[in-house]
Amino acid sequence: MQNTTTRHGLTAPEARELCDRVLRFAKADHTRVNIESGIRGFTRTAVNRVTTAGVADSLSVTVTSVFGKRVASVSTNRLDDAALQRAVRDAEELAKISPENPEYLPELGEQQYVAVDGYYASTGELTTETRARAARLGIQAAEAIKASASGFIDVQAGSTAVATSNKLFAYYSRTGVASTLTVRTPDGLSSGWAGDEGSDWNTIESSRIAEDAVRKCQQWRGKTLLEPGKYEAVLEPAAVGMLLENMMGAFDARAADEGRSFFSKPGGGNRLGEKLFDEKVSILSDPAEKNAETSPFTGAGLPVRREVWVEKGVLKTLSYSRFWAERQATSARPPAGNFIMSGGNATLEDMIKETKRGVLITRFFYIRSLNPRILSFTGLTRDGTFLIENGRIQRPVNNFRFNQSLAALLSSIEMMGRPGRVANEAGSVGRPIVVPALKVREFNLASISDAV
Amino acid sequence: MQDRIGRREFVKMTGAAGAVLAGAGVQPPAGQKPAPGPDASERDIVLLALDAAKSAGADYADVRVVRVNNESVSTRERQITNVGKSETYGIGVRALVRGAWGFAATRDLAKESVVRTAKEAAGIAAANSKINPVKTTLAPAVKTSDGRWMTPHQIDPFTIPIEEKAQLLFKTNEAALGVRGVRFVNSSVSSVRDSRLLGTSDGSLIQQTFIRIAPSVNVTAVSADNSDFQTRNAALVPMGAGWEYVIGLDMPANVLRWAEEAVMKLTAVSVTPGVWDVVLHPSHLWLTIHESIGHSTELDRALGYEANYAGTTFLAPPAKVLQKFKFGPEFMNVNGNRNEPGGCATCGWDDEGVAAQSWPIVEKGILVDYQTTRELVGSISEITKIRESHGCAYGQDWSSIPFPRMPNVSLMPNSRDLSEEDVIGDVQRGIYIEGDGSYSIDQQRYNFQFGGQAFWEIRDGRRVRMLRDVAYQARTPEFWNSLALIGGRRTYRLGATFSDGKGQPSQLNAVSHGCPIALFRNVNVINTA
Repeated sequence: MQNTTTRHGLTAPEARELCDRVLRFAKADHTRVNIESGIRGFTRTAVNRVTTAGVADSLSVTVTSVFGKRVASVSTNRLDDAALQRAVRDAEELAKISPENPEYLPELGEQQYVAVDGYYASTGELTTETRARAARLGIQAAEAIKASASGFIDVQAGSTAVATSNKLFAYYSRTGVASTLTVRTPDGLSSGWAGDEGSDWNTIESSRIAEDAVRKCQQWRGKTLLEPGKYEAVLEPAAVGMLLENMMGAFDARAADEGRSFFSKPGGGNRLGEKLFDEKVSILSDPAEKNAETSPFTGAGLPVRREVWVEKGVLKTLSYSRFWAERQATSARPPAGNFIMSGGNATLEDMIKETKRGVLITRFFYIRSLNPRILSFTGLTRDGTFLIENGRIQRPVNNFRFNQSLAALLSSIEMMGRPGRVANEAGSVGRPIVVPALKVREFNLASISDAV
Repeated sequence: MQDRIGRREFVKMTGAAGAVLAGAGVQPPAGQKPAPGPDASERDIVLLALDAAKSAGADYADVRVVRVNNESVSTRERQITNVGKSETYGIGVRALVRGAWGFAATRDLAKESVVRTAKEAAGIAAANSKINPVKTTLAPAVKTSDGRWMTPHQIDPFTIPIEEKAQLLFKTNEAALGVRGVRFVNSSVSSVRDSRLLGTSDGSLIQQTFIRIAPSVNVTAVSADNSDFQTRNAALVPMGAGWEYVIGLDMPANVLRWAEEAVMKLTAVSVTPGVWDVVLHPSHLWLTIHESIGHSTELDRALGYEANYAGTTFLAPPAKVLQKFKFGPEFMNVNGNRNEPGGCATCGWDDEGVAAQSWPIVEKGILVDYQTTRELVGSISEITKIRESHGCAYGQDWSSIPFPRMPNVSLMPNSRDLSEEDVIGDVQRGIYIEGDGSYSIDQQRYNFQFGGQAFWEIRDGRRVRMLRDVAYQARTPEFWNSLALIGGRRTYRLGATFSDGKGQPSQLNAVSHGCPIALFRNVNVINTA
């Protein structure tokens, strides 16, 4: 545990006491208590000023009651005995009248968890003034080039706990911070973006974010037409993260076994053990990953451990719910908490040098599933798109809509950079994503977007 | 502290940032049931928070005590997957100090906590005021000293037992599973009750209760050899309504068509990409309106406030486009409407105490106005000559700061009461699209691409066969100017979502869009296979 003076969210003893208090009210066959507590602070800028800033505390208690295989949950954010008793009573009454869930498995007993400390005092103690100073760096950098800064600093700090009537208790505390900045020219013809996300505020480089967003905005000035088509592409780490985050939900064994996933095998079953991607591709998740920590347990208290999902292009693991694992005679594996991809040593400059005719992409926007059978997605490039010719950036170009299969993308990787944690599309604290920059043989830029 | 501000003083308080107009007084209840007034203790808390914020230096403050109840029942095939209820309750205070905003919120409604939170909001605002070169001012709003409103409804969905809801879903699933080729069905129903008491330092005190309900059915057919699967989502419309709405949908009977269409999609003809006329059913068109008109006419986007995430808009700067930009043909009229019956964004007042209203955004094809709030309307008043907000401020819950959110934005029907057949009859070679599917649009709302749920080829004015793998891609100005024909009032339907995301931190807004069936010429259709 990092040294802190003010910790947000309930401490472990406080959480245990609250869980015990709720469990004492319970009369069901099984009861589970989930507690989420903490704060969220934010500072938002636009048109070179702070537009909104604030802080909100939160604490929710969710009671899950079980009679036989009848299950229901009730959550509340009131903590007095009367409110907690009412929540327990409501959950029990609701469970009694709910139809049976034949897939329900009894609540877990005590479990062993990986030790993870995701709470950083640097983040937990961040003040309104510190956020405002960091935001000011972005505004000053934009003002220096007579441009306009819009940014967001999101801070979350708190804890999560779960307890069951079978004597399970688990507790985890964590912090997260995201800082993103968009710099636009006053004529609205150019825009640049940069951002960081981490568990530790000390890893957020506010000055570098300001410099990068300004540099992108300046470099993208004077964009000219590039026709849509299939191009070689160099994807910056943020672009890779925003794209690949979308495939995490596909690693579900049940959907694959039921024939409704990219990982379904024609004729039945799934594609575990098959080489589906380039051998440079390995994908794993690890709750203890430094500065990308996640809870070492699920909401039901199931341990979350390091998992290798793809190794050298081969599908190694799918996630199994307890029910599906029992049905398929294997062990339960929760979905990944974070997304960590293998990398290489290439720099962005190396990738550009090796590109004959391609496009450099800074980040994406509005990514949505197009065809889950081939893991294809659509979305748009944004805030810095450039044509590369003969190993050099030739000129800034218009944005594009892409229609691209991620399976095809992961089969056409030529070079990889060093992986790092990246900010997500929303610029808020989210699921940790650790990915490298990529150079790919082909990326389908399907139509032009005039947006800046 | 509670006693320091009495009723009379409260009513007298005037925000320095905005003058108060003549009062509107008590509003008559809009629904079949009388709208409840404020709980006495909540009213005291609101007054206490306003007083504390003012004492801490706020020139203006508004306070919301919000209780949101959610209930959801979810099933797959013949079993329950989730039954849950949640309640979240707390207070949020927004303070304006020397032209800068601060916000603080807490779930702890004890007096000391409420006072501390109000002071914190003012403190954050004061800190921000030191680095802000531009000072925020607010447009005037009519004072409503005892406002009451409730979603018109007949049956409160929270009074219907879970068993009854589950049985309806099971019956629906069973009917779908009886269709050969259907392997999976997911169905659910979510109910929301949002009770919010708003107090402003202008002297408004408004109690509103919102009831919303969202049923959902999704059918999956899988080919015999597992090589293909297709889904048909029923695209059921979330509604500001009670349980009577769900009963009226008759899901167990109607699911047969959705199930049959899921199976038909497995063997339907894959679309030939190219230029097609498209006829868009309201169950699909609502989302196209939402993305390309709803979001592009938000004034905060036009002014750059959302540049870092949701984006700006091609309809900017306002001075260049207002009353000039030709959005579509002369018969195209689009209204912002906080009074739309059944609308998810229908209300009595917004979160700044501005009364619900309807106003033209696109009139005879020309952009004439934006969606506005008290903070932003002043930036276009000189052009529109409208000095008061249209009432588009909303915060998702007690812990969320109110900011510009979309009202119901609807495309008006044809004054001639044309039927669906009349519209399809005007197409030689086209595609009829029903239900919303994959959707994506760029950050200035130019380039969009939309899928759907069911696609039919039209030949010589008639639907002839099912198609699959269809999406269309277009640029907003050209697309709306290719609008060739719209149906009449009889084809007008609402579409809606509970979860329109915007802002940082991202907040969800429930919003509806009404529209008639509509024909667009020469649209670029792609194949998504």
